[in-house]
Amino acid sequence: MDKEIKLAEIREKLKVLLVDQLSLEDITPEEIEDDSELFGEGLGLDSLDAVEIVVILQRNFGMEVKDMEKSREVFRTIGTLADYVYSKTEA
Amino acid sequence: MPDTQPKRRGNRLGIWFFKALMKLAGLRGAYALLYPVCLHYACFDRSAVRSALPYLLRRFPDLNPLQRWWLAYQLFISQGKNLIDRHALVAGAVNFDTSISGCKQVAALSAAGQGFILLTSHVGNWQTVMHSLERLNKTVHLLMRPEENLALRAAVQVDTEASRIKIISPDQHLGGMVEVMQALEQGDIVSMMGDRTYGADSVEVNFLGESARFPYSAFHIAASAGCPVVVLLSSKTGVNAYSVNMADVLYPKLVRGQDRKVQLRDWVQQYADILENYLLAYPLQYFIFHDIWA
Repeated sequence: MDKEIKLAEIREKLKVLLVDQLSLEDITPEEIEDDSELFGEGLGLDSLDAVEIVVILQRNFGMEVKDMEKSREVFRTIGTLADYVYSKTEA
Repeated sequence: MPDTQPKRRGNRLGIWFFKALMKLAGLRGAYALLYPVCLHYACFDRSAVRSALPYLLRRFPDLNPLQRWWLAYQLFISQGKNLIDRHALVAGAVNFDTSISGCKQVAALSAAGQGFILLTSHVGNWQTVMHSLERLNKTVHLLMRPEENLALRAAVQVDTEASRIKIISPDQHLGGMVEVMQALEQGDIVSMMGDRTYGADSVEVNFLGESARFPYSAFHIAASAGCPVVVLLSSKTGVNAYSVNMADVLYPKLVRGQDRKVQLRDWVQQYADILENYLLAYPLQYFIFHDIWA
């Protein structure tokens, strides 16, 4: 239960940070689904936005890039990103 | 010439002949053969001359067609010498005397463990210059498609266990950006090409008096990672001498709330100005056989 609450908190924080830091104009944090694809279809982010996401993870969750070895799975959706942050910071 | 399938010139026999001549008569002997060979291309390979014209038209706008043809010929010779030098380097036949300006500040960045982006251009012989980076004792990651630069792979050991030169392919997931950020975080050098887009996102800047498209990803990455961009320029200055310039170090910053692309354009323009100034001094060392102004 505690894990689910933590994960929900991380997801919400990530949504706010993405909208704010990537200057997403046509969408609010509330409108981002947990399982929306971040790149391509979905939010339509590009590879340079991936750079910003890496920086968001570094600055807001204290993560190091060397931890992000499975980027293909980790950077898929808000949900997978939150799971990864949780596994590295809370587990 | 199209981006993806550049026309290759020179056959194996021809290359073998140049190498043999280099062994027998040294660099000067191999260079001597260049003059008739390049004259052949200048006279009979119209696509080769055409590919040199976009640059020559902007750099030398006042010349007549015959004068421009002559410069295209000179440019082919200049590039041919660079290619021969590359082979000489691989064969260990020549020790090139390389003078580096800006070495101190780059060495200071390295010593401080600061990762940085090395912005290269189609000027001089940057593949050969990669050798001189060995003295920095740093791993250099080249952001490029492995198959894209066979000349580089021939010139320096890339991606072998012993080599400190690695390749990050932009074709991998997220364009290799996670790997780029990883390299910068661990204090390595990431080398990127600054004056040709190869399909990457770009901005229009003023270059040699006209609007040209240059990629901006180097400056975006640097601003995000908080690392500098070191502009690498090089030119052949003698038979076995090169000069390398790393004196221009840019520290891109992006102000939040302002248009990102407009800000990036300003940084790319600074780089374009640096390159343009360099070409005033070394006009026949720019091997951009592609219309970046189109």
